[in-house]
Amino acid sequence: MSDATTSSAAAKTPKVRFSPQRVWTMAMATVTQLIRMKILAFLVLFCLLAVGAGFAFSVINPEQQLSLLKSVTLGALQIFSIVIGVVSTALLLPKDLEDRTLYTILSKPVPRFDYLLGKLIGVLMLIGGGLIVMDAILSLILWMRQSLLFDEAVNHLRMEKMDSAEAVTQMREIVARQGLTWNLHWAVWAIFLKATVVTTVALLLSSIASSTLFTIVITFCVTIIGHGEALIREFFFTPNLSGMTGRAAALLLAAICPDLAQFDIVDSVVNGEIVPWSAVLNMTSLAAIYVTVYMFITHLVFAEKEL
Amino acid sequence: MSDTPAVSVNHLTKVFKGTLVKGAFRAVHDLSLTVKAGEVYGLIGPNGSGKSTTMKVILGLLKPTEGDTSIFGVPSTEVASRSDVGFLPENPYFYKHLNGRETLHFYGSLCGMRGAKLKERASEMLALTGLEDAATRRVGGYSKGMLQRLGLAQALIHEPRLLVLDEPTAGVDPAGSRKIRDLIIEFRSRGITVLVTSHLLEQMQEVCDRVGIMAHGRMVREGRLEDLIAVENQTEMVIENASPALLAQIDALVKAAGSDTRLLRSGHPRTTLERLFLEATNEAKKS
Repeated sequence: MSDATTSSAAAKTPKVRFSPQRVWTMAMATVTQLIRMKILAFLVLFCLLAVGAGFAFSVINPEQQLSLLKSVTLGALQIFSIVIGVVSTALLLPKDLEDRTLYTILSKPVPRFDYLLGKLIGVLMLIGGGLIVMDAILSLILWMRQSLLFDEAVNHLRMEKMDSAEAVTQMREIVARQGLTWNLHWAVWAIFLKATVVTTVALLLSSIASSTLFTIVITFCVTIIGHGEALIREFFFTPNLSGMTGRAAALLLAAICPDLAQFDIVDSVVNGEIVPWSAVLNMTSLAAIYVTVYMFITHLVFAEKEL
Repeated sequence: MSDTPAVSVNHLTKVFKGTLVKGAFRAVHDLSLTVKAGEVYGLIGPNGSGKSTTMKVILGLLKPTEGDTSIFGVPSTEVASRSDVGFLPENPYFYKHLNGRETLHFYGSLCGMRGAKLKERASEMLALTGLEDAATRRVGGYSKGMLQRLGLAQALIHEPRLLVLDEPTAGVDPAGSRKIRDLIIEFRSRGITVLVTSHLLEQMQEVCDRVGIMAHGRMVREGRLEDLIAVENQTEMVIENASPALLAQIDALVKAAGSDTRLLRSGHPRTTLERLFLEATNEAKKS
């Protein structure tokens, strides 16, 4: 066939471009797959157990009761959103390749980037859906619990004959600060952002490696290192701590791993501190930058991958 | 029909990079072939001969080391080349959590189809492949033959002009295998080009217009099936109403005989595709 025939046919054939509909189709198939694997049910069940555990410890005052409930539940949400993000992502890509499902998908007019993005969005939709459900349940429990605890505390003050207006107002403020506030939703949002970044790292590793176990182990290592970026920076900027090799290794780690400590606002929320809008905006922007960079690298790797 | 070939492979070489332990592996070596629009082309060869690698390069799943491939004139490296292709891999698996109809909706949706058109086309494909009764069953419970037919249905969902079938009858019982063979013949009658690989050479002989035989990454024979299975150094005579005496002196008698004795056909006797395949691949092994 002449080059002219090829080029004229190529010119006549419309280019296949990025398609949100195609990405949505991939994302919905991924969500359906994970839901039918009962992953969401497992997440919700575990977190409900965590909420139950929040009541199980003996407490001294209402403030401690509410703080403990938030601490245990948000901690469980944090761990499980990361675990589900990493494991689901690490399983899905190699499984598609192993089952040859990837061949039937990519032999259709589907750009590889659309496939990757669809998979990522599917996993994030599942995590996001689970977190929204848990946020709603936790909000409801906190709201009910804070009313009950406030009444109990006021009764206690009354019995102790310490129920002055000032003391009751102070108690209301303490309980309200530890009860249901917007801060709780920001904490859940931060958990989602952290899980999003870690899931994107898992997708990148999954596109490089063919082993699910390798992807899971390395992603968890990156997650652990990502929580210690401040230490790495300190190590790098303190001249007397190490030689050139150590500093180079620290620089490399800092460059590769995301700074996950930036998303750690759960402790502040548990302590009843106010999370400013600027902090939320910074976290969201940072997560967007990480996701864009990691997805770009993933696309470069996956576009060249021999299937 | 357009003159643009359905598939064009030009001097394709594919080398898989080696590791520290294993050296590089040349799976396909300087392969050229053309599949004309509307024909059924069979690519046959023993395991490891490079058939699947060639198909993957054609479909853009692998990148060629040298040479190039195109589909209806569009280079395989472009995603647009897959707009007109349906592919059935060997022993296909689909998302087990979806049922047959959902699977077809999924693949149709990936091709940009939607709404009533997609639903109608999915129903049509389920009917064509005989899966209407299993349409709402999860794919995880399908038999091998049903998976193969579902694979054909998904390959056809977006009305492609080219079908690429990798071992479409592998692991399928004789009845299912015959059904797939009949479907291939039907596709040809509808003007769909088919590029197929199979180990069932008798079936290939029944459905293919042209075949290419590969061994050790090279094309060792290629051409029209009728020409390939003709034995060049022999002559076959088909004689009607021949007596035993006539058979004994056949050449002279045919010329001399008149009346009812007629030479109906003269030409080259046919071997079977299977024998040709074994000869060709053995020659390649010796050289």
